[in-house]
Amino acid sequence: MMTAIQRILHQFWTEISSSLVPLMVFVTGVFTAIILGRLSKRLFMAAGIPDSVEGTTFERTVNRLGTSTTGILSWMVTLFVLALAVGLTLSIGGLLGTSYYAELLRGYLLRVFVAALVIIVGLILGDKVQVEIQNWLQDIKLTEVALIPPAAKYSILFVATLVALEELRIETLPLMIVLGGYILLLIVFGAIAFKDLLAAAAAGMYLIFLQPYTIGDTITVDEKRGIVQEVDLFTTYIESEGEEFILPNHIVMRDGIMRDR
Amino acid sequence: MTGVGGIVADLVADVDALFVFSPSGANFEEIRATVDVPVVVVDTENAVGAESFIELPLQFTDVREQIRFALEGGIDQELIDTGTMVLCAQRLFDDGLDSFTRVRAGEFSQTGIYDLFVNSRAEPSVIRAVLEVVIGLGKKGQKGKPVGALFVVGDAGKVMNKSRSLSYNPFEKSHVHVGDPIVDVMLKEFSRLDGAFVISDSGKIVSAYRYLEPATEGVDIPKGLGTRHMAAGAITRETNSIAIVLSESDGLVRAFSGGELIFELDPEAY
Repeated sequence: MMTAIQRILHQFWTEISSSLVPLMVFVTGVFTAIILGRLSKRLFMAAGIPDSVEGTTFERTVNRLGTSTTGILSWMVTLFVLALAVGLTLSIGGLLGTSYYAELLRGYLLRVFVAALVIIVGLILGDKVQVEIQNWLQDIKLTEVALIPPAAKYSILFVATLVALEELRIETLPLMIVLGGYILLLIVFGAIAFKDLLAAAAAGMYLIFLQPYTIGDTITVDEKRGIVQEVDLFTTYIESEGEEFILPNHIVMRDGIMRDR
Repeated sequence: MTGVGGIVADLVADVDALFVFSPSGANFEEIRATVDVPVVVVDTENAVGAESFIELPLQFTDVREQIRFALEGGIDQELIDTGTMVLCAQRLFDDGLDSFTRVRAGEFSQTGIYDLFVNSRAEPSVIRAVLEVVIGLGKKGQKGKPVGALFVVGDAGKVMNKSRSLSYNPFEKSHVHVGDPIVDVMLKEFSRLDGAFVISDSGKIVSAYRYLEPATEGVDIPKGLGTRHMAAGAITRETNSIAIVLSESDGLVRAFSGGELIFELDPEAY
């Protein structure tokens, strides 16, 4: 009699535990997800993310959809934890093999999460850089200059996409080659275009820190004689009667300086 | 109706231009949408993105000075001429525009105050920074005692050649520019000793303790001013610099350009 009752109780307990434990895990998981979402939102707020993304296209787009960048990020955290909870529930319930769950956790889920994060950061960073460069160039009324900010933005987006695709283990070799070519072009053109500026700046460092001549000295450089009016990173201003010479600093270094005593 | 509309109508009748001083963005949008005469914004910075803009070197507290500066700026930029009737909209008390002044652009004789800031050799921001330093010095003094100071701004190479050192130059091989945060304290300390500060076109402090040796012959400054002002006037006549002087005796700040006194202001009012 006793053993029968015990057996029934035991069976009852196993039944309960096999259905209740997954349920409890699931409910706990959902709550954890929501709480973590809220907490991360506060954390993002405290980190000043709303201020730093203000005015970017991404922020404006998600605002139109009724949320914000911090909202989206915290939603992603919530979803991620939720997916973990579902996976855990299923694996405890025996519907999903534990090894599958571990694989899911370690592998794809995390990668999707990271990829999404990279894309969002890329979008925001791209917008931010575009706005900054635009502000910086706003006084230059030259049509060609307007190409630079979007170019910078799309370069950043391109790199972010590459990283995200790489994270998802999608074949990116052709895109990598494009990126490599692009960077090579930038370096080659940059080196050619900025050759003189770089040389002048390097010479300017020397002139500024060691000051072989200073404002008020009369010097002769490259057969141009006058009073030094200003020395900055790239140029030296020499003024003589009615004439002002603006000499790139590398010329000063190359030709040498004659200082009148 | 209050019945004062007629007076206001007289005030605004056939004006040729509207000068708006430090408007808020909303203010400006409204004005731009409704006003048909040319609108010029006058402010310390062009925050509203107006097409016609006159930059104030500092927020004047004296309304007359402010209007005078704006009118000179307008004439200099050829936005208006001396015959233009200008309506100035300003904020005296609260946040909104609350007072209107009707003035003919040629009302004041041209003093060159606008010219001093905008068309000097030195950059306007540098002159502005020096003026701020001098006003700060004038307000606080050195440990409560009034100090005098003389800043020669721009054309530093020539100024250095027309002056000699009174003492070891504390700014030699330094890279300090006016407007750097530490500068206020440094200048305050160095103003204890005699001599002028020399500042380059880009704002670099070239030297302190300079004894200026320009020819003072023919320099005409108002009677009652001392040698510091005389030196300031004379150096600006001999070089393309400007000089900003803080008087030790009356505490006023005066600016010289081309050997002439351009303006004077009381630092206590700022």
